[in-house]
Amino acid sequence: MAIVNRTRDSFYDQGATYDDGPAQERVHRVVEEGAEIVDIGGVRAGYGEQVDAAEEIRRVVPFVAWVREQHPGVVISVDTWRSEVAREVCEAGADLLNDAWGGHDPRLVEVAAEFDAAIICTHTGGLPPRTDPYRIEYDDVVAAAIAETTALAERALAAGVARESIVIDPAHDFGKNTFHSLEVTRRLGEMVATGWPVLVSLSNKDFVGETLGAPTQQRLTGTLAATSVCALAGARIYRVHQVPETRATVDMVWSIAGRRPPLRAIRGLQ
Amino acid sequence: MRVALVPGVLALLPEYAGQEDPVPEVRAAAVAAAAWLAEAGPVTVVGDEQGGRVGRHLLEGAAEGDGSAYLVVANGSARRNDTAPGYVDQRAVPFDAAVEAALSGPDPAALEGLEVDLATALLVGNPAGLVRLGTLLRRAGPPMMDYAGDPYGVQYWVMRWTVVDSEEPHEDPART
Repeated sequence: MAIVNRTRDSFYDQGATYDDGPAQERVHRVVEEGAEIVDIGGVRAGYGEQVDAAEEIRRVVPFVAWVREQHPGVVISVDTWRSEVAREVCEAGADLLNDAWGGHDPRLVEVAAEFDAAIICTHTGGLPPRTDPYRIEYDDVVAAAIAETTALAERALAAGVARESIVIDPAHDFGKNTFHSLEVTRRLGEMVATGWPVLVSLSNKDFVGETLGAPTQQRLTGTLAATSVCALAGARIYRVHQVPETRATVDMVWSIAGRRPPLRAIRGLQ
Repeated sequence: MRVALVPGVLALLPEYAGQEDPVPEVRAAAVAAAAWLAEAGPVTVVGDEQGGRVGRHLLEGAAEGDGSAYLVVANGSARRNDTAPGYVDQRAVPFDAAVEAALSGPDPAALEGLEVDLATALLVGNPAGLVRLGTLLRRAGPPMMDYAGDPYGVQYWVMRWTVVDSEEPHEDPART
């Protein structure tokens, strides 16, 4: 899942794909690089300029329609917590709603069900949209993530979303300090064991930066290390900035785990 | 009686399958040869432990053994060139050429008299199988050469022979 931000202020790309041209170019490129999903967002996750629903719609809806037309086979995800935005993007052809703020708008699942769209159920520890954690602690962060995401998944199911269209996401850094995100990574297998497909969003995040003392633009190695651990545990979707590096990492780990044959093997087998 | 030769390439086994087949031509020829043998009746596999596995996989569950057809699993040297798994040995290419001539004749006596020690030194696949092949080909006509090549520095052949069986003259197409 390749991130395509239609924002001026997202932490990693700093507005690089806010304009149509660069955004379109990025979609073409990530699809070429092997992304099966594009995740389009119109609002920065963290603090930043106010973006109301009308502005969010202006940023993402025509772009979703453009991607749908240009790449009929790619899965289009939209990162939004607002049901009114969700409705517009589904009408424009989106397949998946990335509810990164964990059910903040309870009507979002109803839109997913109405349009037969998929949904990502995210753990935020109860934080409202666009807020950072402050002295949040958990008795058991993984148990909390499982409880919150599976409850959201069950709610989506009850609302009429197809079982195979529901994904859970522990949401690294969301409502979590670095120790929480490291623990969620280490114990990701427990989330996989719930049976719901698991998405991880690790890409260049602060928990990688704090762990390695790496500024934003130097977090790829740490991101890929975390990606490896999640892949070994069986995560199914990786929300990323760097597609080819992630694709190779996940393919390699998937083969180590015995879930994917090598591309072509002849060494010692002649 | 029918006799076929296929190489003991482990990449033919399903447990070593990648997403892309590194030996599609060898596989196609070997599978076709095994099927051709099975048409004649139960097939006896002549191979070492690994070759036996390759042979039985190629036969895909066809009935085994009573002397009406033989699948010999053997191949040439694995020291032919820089891409070979074994260190290059200058004797490898001429050795394989001599074996190929003996197979093509066929020249059963030449195969039966194969220098097994040299073959072993050249990492030939199953030299004893080539010697046994000589015995099987004593009344054979010239082969169908389905494949000959060394894509990874190891000499492979896929060949088929029809052997005149004095007890079953109708097996010989030349007499019908």
